[in-house]
Amino acid sequence: MSPQRSRSLALAGLLAPGTLLLAGFFLVPLGIMAVYSLLSPGLYGGVEWEFYPFNYGRVLGAPLGDVEEFDPVYGGIFLRSLRLALVTVAVCLLLAYPAAFWVSRLPGQRKPLVLFLVTLPFFASLIIRIYAWMLVLKPTGVLTRAMEALGLSHLAPDLMFTEAAVVIGLCYVLLPFMFLPVYASVEKLDPALSQASADLGATPLQGFLRVTLPLTAPGILAGCLLVFIPALGNFIVPALLGGAKVMLVGNTIEQQFLAARNWPFGAALAMLVLATILLAMLGLALRSRRDAGEDGRA
Amino acid sequence: MSDNQNKTSPVLLRVEDARRRFRTPEGGEVAALAGIDLDIRANEFLTLLGPSGCGKTTLLRAIAGFEALDGGDIALDGRSLSGVPPHRRPFNTVFQSYALFPHLSVADNVGYGLDVAGVPRRERQARVAEALALVGLGELGRRRPRQLSGGQQQRVALARALVNRPRLLLLDEPLSALDRHLRQAMQIELKALQHQVGITFLVVTHDQEEALVMSDRIAVMAGGSLQQVGDPGEIYDRPANRFVAGFIGSSNLLATRVQGRSGDHLILATDNGLQLLAHHAGFSPGDRVDALLRPEQLRIEDEVQAHTASFEGTVESSVFAGPDRHLRVVTPTGERFTVLLRHDARQARPPQAPGQPVRLSYAPEAVHLMAGTGP
Repeated sequence: MSPQRSRSLALAGLLAPGTLLLAGFFLVPLGIMAVYSLLSPGLYGGVEWEFYPFNYGRVLGAPLGDVEEFDPVYGGIFLRSLRLALVTVAVCLLLAYPAAFWVSRLPGQRKPLVLFLVTLPFFASLIIRIYAWMLVLKPTGVLTRAMEALGLSHLAPDLMFTEAAVVIGLCYVLLPFMFLPVYASVEKLDPALSQASADLGATPLQGFLRVTLPLTAPGILAGCLLVFIPALGNFIVPALLGGAKVMLVGNTIEQQFLAARNWPFGAALAMLVLATILLAMLGLALRSRRDAGEDGRA
Repeated sequence: MSDNQNKTSPVLLRVEDARRRFRTPEGGEVAALAGIDLDIRANEFLTLLGPSGCGKTTLLRAIAGFEALDGGDIALDGRSLSGVPPHRRPFNTVFQSYALFPHLSVADNVGYGLDVAGVPRRERQARVAEALALVGLGELGRRRPRQLSGGQQQRVALARALVNRPRLLLLDEPLSALDRHLRQAMQIELKALQHQVGITFLVVTHDQEEALVMSDRIAVMAGGSLQQVGDPGEIYDRPANRFVAGFIGSSNLLATRVQGRSGDHLILATDNGLQLLAHHAGFSPGDRVDALLRPEQLRIEDEVQAHTASFEGTVESSVFAGPDRHLRVVTPTGERFTVLLRHDARQARPPQAPGQPVRLSYAPEAVHLMAGTGP
């Protein structure tokens, strides 16, 4: 057997378990969902095996001229989910980016400790951590008590079951996914580069916009994607902190599958979330290919 | 540029009593700059020379504005630079790591300073092309820094700094990342470039040979203090102290005491009893002096001549190094000397072998004396 042939066989052997796992437990269920989203709902859950095109029309109907089942409430939920996901991305970025610079300048022996602290929340269950936030945010909670103790009770906001509470919860859960890729790109940044920028007469703001930001952009984009995707589909945080007042697309999907027993409509909503995320990723991929193209052309 | 011109050149930058202390990881303090006074003259090529940790890079960074002083002042044209941030100082730096912007083309790297200063595009392009041509990289403007060799990157860093026509160009170990051949070629080229552009160069290096080749003047630093400032010949022939003598070139250094006079000459003796003659007026019998005899000042004599200063010894080792041969000679009193002999392929005699007795002679005028340290 030629060395190349045995090498490619070995590679196939190593890749097989992962490929089979993803194909069996991800692609096949995804295919089932895609098919279900085009079928009509069964009376007590499940599906009737007949073509039913109105699941998508219920969300997107009016703009597409398909008004049979259209209900604007779902489009509203979708847009609100997009908006809160984008706000979450923005807040996480504003928190993580400066923190990444701070950590990257810590003395060597203290960095691992801080990075460990960043990942520490993963050691506790997500549900428990969200319930803890409920204790903080509820009208008789820690936040209100603290404000009262400071004599600021008239300023104490009632955050429970608001969009603000959902964004706080999402940021809390997803912040590490922003911090880690952003930190990785900031850590690689040579501090001499911003000094060189200043040395050449650039103000700190010019240096940031022309040197620091472009060089850390890959980490920022990766972090934004890693936060945006779970923020868009998350249903635990809006269910616990947003209640019935802040319905997001994640809760709606959950509700359609469980409470409403409309599997095809839930599947259609899930496919729409997937399509949104794929579009976002495609946009970023095209962008980074354009950057790579500039490199190659030079 | 000749020394005379330099001495009449006005002072560009004056460093006065510059002090800077750093905390060590062990909790102590170390003085990187322990009161430095230095004048940098317009259009000179000045080198800060010293071993690593002597404070030379701290001084360079303080001038660039990256390091604040604890005390003292740095003034440009008589105006203090205290509180002036780096981007408002009319200096540019060639960083040791070059610090080229990896996401910008070579031309955009070179044009960065002009761009942030708002120089119009047309003028910027012309000046970038001119700067790249100056360092011999006219063709490579569209490349990325990582597509260049180390030597080419170094030239880009030079062009990027020079294109802004700084009052003072600061170079931090500019040649240390290059291989030996390229480094030697660049030493000559840097010096020629400085002459061509007429900009004051301040170079930090730990390489004494580099300093001797390039500089109009050398400032030798150790332990945060200036040891000596002078032109290369002065530093080499008349070092101010034991440290400078040992750091520049190779040297035979002897701790001696003046025993007496013999005509114009002083008679010196080491503690072991080796006697030397030296021509020097500044010392009197009983003084402790350090005597420096450069290896190339020692000759091997075939016959003893009464009128030359000489002493006997035995060859300990003999090393061939291309154009030179390095001989280690030990005297009966136990002093060791390095002797530098020109290699000559037509030489009839075989070179001195270890174990062979030799007589070394020197001109008493060639012995340089420095005030001694110790009792």
